[in-house]
Amino acid sequence: MKLPPSEVTSRPVYLPLAPELAAGRHWLVLDAPSMDEVLLAELASAFAPVAERLQVWSIGSLQPAMGLGPVTRLADLKAAASALAGQWPLRVSDRLCVQGSEPFVWSVFLAARELGLAESQIQLAHAGSQRRRVWCTHCHGFTEGVSSSTVACAGCGRELLVRDHFSRRHGAFMGVMVDAEVPGQRPVREELFP
Amino acid sequence: MISSGLKLKVVAVNDIAPSLRQLSLASVDGSALPPNGAGSHVLFNLPGQGRVHRNAYSLINPPGSRSQYDIIVRRVPTSRGGSAAVHERLQLGDVIEAQLPANLFPPQRRARQHLMIAGGIGITPFLSYLQDAGVKASGYALHLCCRESEREVFAPWLPAGDPQVFFHWDAEGHRLDIPALLARQPAGTHLYVCGPAELNQAVLDAAQAQGWPASQVHSELFGAASSGGAPFEAVLKKSGQSVRVGEDESLLEAIERLGVAAPCLCRGGACGVCVTPLLEGEAEHRDHYLSASDKAQGRLIMPCVSRARGARLVLDL
Repeated sequence: MKLPPSEVTSRPVYLPLAPELAAGRHWLVLDAPSMDEVLLAELASAFAPVAERLQVWSIGSLQPAMGLGPVTRLADLKAAASALAGQWPLRVSDRLCVQGSEPFVWSVFLAARELGLAESQIQLAHAGSQRRRVWCTHCHGFTEGVSSSTVACAGCGRELLVRDHFSRRHGAFMGVMVDAEVPGQRPVREELFP
Repeated sequence: MISSGLKLKVVAVNDIAPSLRQLSLASVDGSALPPNGAGSHVLFNLPGQGRVHRNAYSLINPPGSRSQYDIIVRRVPTSRGGSAAVHERLQLGDVIEAQLPANLFPPQRRARQHLMIAGGIGITPFLSYLQDAGVKASGYALHLCCRESEREVFAPWLPAGDPQVFFHWDAEGHRLDIPALLARQPAGTHLYVCGPAELNQAVLDAAQAQGWPASQVHSELFGAASSGGAPFEAVLKKSGQSVRVGEDESLLEAIERLGVAAPCLCRGGACGVCVTPLLEGEAEHRDHYLSASDKAQGRLIMPCVSRARGARLVLDL
């Protein structure tokens, strides 16, 4: 289930997760629907050296995760953020590792930043769909699961051109009104990430 | 920018401790100086005996100061001349040349909290940090390791009665427990250390052992990294000259003595501006700029601090 690299050049490059042996507590947060057996086996072997200070959390139900040890199942991203907040006080030696779809990993990233973790304490890896989350520059609303080059904004209904511009602050690609210059003049909507 | 200079006049001299002298310098014509940032330093040309010493000192002014630059210089017993020049020869009203402020040690704007550890006169960059609005807004702590007798010396530049400034000295119950201090820091903290090499190394080692991300740990070596050593010959291939590097001068100083203008900025092996191709000879690398792999390849040298292992180096200058 390894995906071909995205052709969107501004997309962050995601490397495989790896524990840091000098660091302390590790949390591995997984987007269950995006994971498969091969990825789980790779993670189990990669994180074995820090097993005694590792917690594995899954959002959604994981297939029996061989070798990863006990997995705590969480209902949604909000529950994951609360669980992380429950680890207070967060220390400089803590590490958060997240794998899943792009909107998933960035949602966890932003929640963790909010709680005080530094970027250098967080690793993100991609798995699953390459569909994009789009942030509307007009109404500031999000449109999820976007597979096409243009999309109707879920917030304000404007037809948006999805720019190949990833915002780390929003964890989303920028969408701008596609026919702002010449109303009604719109390019053909292309499917990019089915 | 690196070569453009300032002419500065000494407008105040204060001896604040037996080995500490504070200087204020303003522009000769009274014009506004280029503003400094927290943690920045200025490279001064100091009048020595028969030669000019080029030493970098941290500015202790509030960030953005335009009227004068303030520095504190400790007289180093083993001084090669720079600090002795400040303590013995520099007089009120003297004019010296200096370069524009540069900053290799700025506070990190994304830090949730700034943890500063200073050894003695290594407090100087942090005196400007404590006057920085961003540092003040995000929270900080300063731990100064100094002689017990020098606890009050820096008081004029420290916020009065600041509960976030801690003093440590070499006596039972007063020493800084570095690993314990590091272990209790909240996530998002950036760590800064400025002091003698042993203190810097102890802090960097403790941070690494505790799993601090390297990008959250910053250090500045106080005092010139030692640049003296056994004398050797340096050959400058392009200009066809050669010079004997004496035991109390750096390779860079010897090159400057020939009149060859070599670019430089920190003169402490940190910034990388003076990096020079090495054509022959083995270098004794003392800088913090080149990677281990660069050093192993042996094709580059930082003449501000590094020297020869053998009798001769050939540089592509």
